[in-house]
Amino acid sequence: MANPAPAALDGVTVLDLTAHIAGPYATKLLADLGARVIKVERPGGDPVRAFGPWLGDEPGPERGGSHQFLNTNKESIVLDLKSDGGREALERLLPRADIAVTSYPPAVAERLDLTPDAIREVADVNVLSLTNFGWEGPYRDYALSETVLYAMGGEMFSHGAIDREPLKMGGTASLIQCGAMAAIGALGAVYTTEVHGGAQRVDVSLFDVQLNSVDRRSSAIMAYRFSGRINDRPEVAGPSTGAGVVGVFPCADGYVEMTASAGPYWRRFAEMIGHPEFTDPKWNDPQWMNSDEARAEIDVALYPWLSERTRAEVWEAAREAHAILAPLFTASDLYEDPVFRERGLWTEVEHETLGRFPMLGRPYALSETPWAIRRAAPRLGEHTDAILAEAGYGADAIAGLRRTGAVA
Amino acid sequence: MSARLPLEGVRICDFACVWAGQTATMYLADLGADCIKVENPYVWNPATRAAAPVLPAPVAQMLPAWMAGHPNNDPGPRPWNSSPAFIHVIRNKRSFTVDSRRPEGLAVVKSLIAISDVLAENLAIGTLEKLGLDDDAIRAARPDIIILHLPAFGRTGAYVEGRGYGAHIDGVAGSTILRGYRDSAPETNVQTFAGDFFVGMHGGLAALAALRHRRRTGRGQTIELAQAECSASMFPQAALDAAWNGRASGSIGNRSTEGFAPNGVFAARGEEQWLALSCRSDAEWAALVDYIGRPAWATAPELATAGGRRAAEDAIESELAAWIAARDRDELFRDLQAAGVTAGPVLSAKDVTEDSHAAQSPAFQSLPATGDYPATEFPAPSFTFSRSDVTIRTAPALLGEHNDYVYRELLGVGDEEYAKLEADGHITTTYADEVMGR
Repeated sequence: MANPAPAALDGVTVLDLTAHIAGPYATKLLADLGARVIKVERPGGDPVRAFGPWLGDEPGPERGGSHQFLNTNKESIVLDLKSDGGREALERLLPRADIAVTSYPPAVAERLDLTPDAIREVADVNVLSLTNFGWEGPYRDYALSETVLYAMGGEMFSHGAIDREPLKMGGTASLIQCGAMAAIGALGAVYTTEVHGGAQRVDVSLFDVQLNSVDRRSSAIMAYRFSGRINDRPEVAGPSTGAGVVGVFPCADGYVEMTASAGPYWRRFAEMIGHPEFTDPKWNDPQWMNSDEARAEIDVALYPWLSERTRAEVWEAAREAHAILAPLFTASDLYEDPVFRERGLWTEVEHETLGRFPMLGRPYALSETPWAIRRAAPRLGEHTDAILAEAGYGADAIAGLRRTGAVA
Repeated sequence: MSARLPLEGVRICDFACVWAGQTATMYLADLGADCIKVENPYVWNPATRAAAPVLPAPVAQMLPAWMAGHPNNDPGPRPWNSSPAFIHVIRNKRSFTVDSRRPEGLAVVKSLIAISDVLAENLAIGTLEKLGLDDDAIRAARPDIIILHLPAFGRTGAYVEGRGYGAHIDGVAGSTILRGYRDSAPETNVQTFAGDFFVGMHGGLAALAALRHRRRTGRGQTIELAQAECSASMFPQAALDAAWNGRASGSIGNRSTEGFAPNGVFAARGEEQWLALSCRSDAEWAALVDYIGRPAWATAPELATAGGRRAAEDAIESELAAWIAARDRDELFRDLQAAGVTAGPVLSAKDVTEDSHAAQSPAFQSLPATGDYPATEFPAPSFTFSRSDVTIRTAPALLGEHNDYVYRELLGVGDEEYAKLEADGHITTTYADEVMGR
């Protein structure tokens, strides 16, 4: 194309002082939409570089899956913010940004003199801070892991079986969810500046994000306030065929998740398994649906039907009948699935030293300003010289800073 | 202008339903957009305003608390205005009613589209098209509009006709297979909805980015967000391990994918008192061991590194479980955090309402009573702006609450026509008899 359309966030510059997962996911979303994101790394790099999985199962600071996924489309500059030289470089970069994003714990931010207000004294830029528990209150300085975050903020309490311990989600989901919320706050602040002028601080607490969203949590809290009822873990772990067909069921080559309760869903379920007798009016009667006889009738029809079919076959039948059902995919299923491949869920990145490798692609497709990975995650300090030069440092000055370890 | 909201003057024609769609537009409403919820009183949209339009108290009691824990355990005559699952995602929005299946109703909707900047929808595939509102028709009414589609599995490809809620979308996104007890098959996994709000956040963000582009270029666009694809971004480590190394991860219970050990959830003294704990570094492990009093089981030199602890994780977990079982959850939480160990209670919904930190945080905002729910705390926007008024500025919209505003102020409908639309059942604050089963 001669004149490709500008990216949606063309012209936005983000100074990214975050590390690990939540903050970098927020700035990745902005980078992938076209913002220029300058990732400021500490000497030695973002600790997330030490996490796998590893490309080709071979560890290395550039080879980690968390780093490669979270830092696409960013530039990397290494600054030692505890040194005078590193601090000065940061202060020269700040006025050139539309927003700075931080994930320093409050006590660390105070020690580094990089609280949102301290940053805003250096330059009138927007600052978004991501903290564990906010800037005030009894838990302010407490630590979080993905698991503890979901335990306290999220709806872990009702996930699992009543006679066992509550369960976390897979991977590092709760942290990534918080990053997505922070991205809206960050873009909201930049947008406000563009419309109204001026800049401000935006604060996002991981704890609050989990409390107010994500997997039934805000609803469970609302329900307690309204009714005094607590969302418990279920007594029977496993799929249920009483009062409707709900849960995870085995089929020939794996599992499917199904919901067939009263109304049209039930009719479609009957159609899917080829048992029109289940559309008899008695199946609209909650009392009958709850009975052991009903359960027995369902089980004898459903389980053989499932066991003779693969996930793909079951899902196809469900789609034909518009029944509410989908297979449980592993990550490999998702990677190999021809339909999602064809749609463009996966992409490839070209890395200067690692070559080409697959990358999980776009969360959304925009028709006029396509989501795109323009470059792989940066090598540690890959853009230090170029970014310092833009900020007015000459070659000698940069070399001097390098000698003292202020930049790398 | 004192509110300094980024989306002042932006209008959303909101066909969104369930959580994914309704939260996408909620984030835009939080940022100041005039979000107009289009509600058809002749069609019950499942899982959008309540579990059911008619919900006797005994039936509500049989449904999960999060879905049907209505005020005082009585859904009352208008369950759609007080469901704990949905009422809070209608904050900062307005609601009007119209039967868009009838020509005069469709004309009303088109006149709203003509003055809207964004149209958002996640209805079952084909629903809008059946109404005569395919993308071309929407663009005919408003050429520079931004259309936000949030289909479950995509608007192209073999899975177009797939139907699912959050739990089913989580299944395809790879979420369900990654959670559960290590010693149980996936079929013991209960339904969760990890992706719903996540999808909503991405939908809101994408629309915000598209609005920026439109402000700069005058051009609208179409956004397609397939919920299953978006939700896969919650699990990039598993996805890349599959793509790069051919490995299909399964559930690891409460253990850490980041290599932290120990990492788990343990029963403390008392009923349903659980403590989550992660040693994110060797230093945190050393602090934990010191706090416990350096017992012999914890001081073996090979446990000083995460690798050594992972090799002995079963033994460590059973020793820790025994130690924690005799102790008070909240005391351990505070003491361990003070000692530098990452630990925290599993907070039930009730615990949250009694939590001293949550109480002082901006997480919740008090709203006055309406005829449908009592005065209580509602979840507030999770980003607090120092200058812009990003708060709950208007309480969740009751069904048809803003009919006057939409019909008269926005669309300029006169008294006579308003009366006719009302007589014909378009303008109402309740659902039609056929929806109510009367």
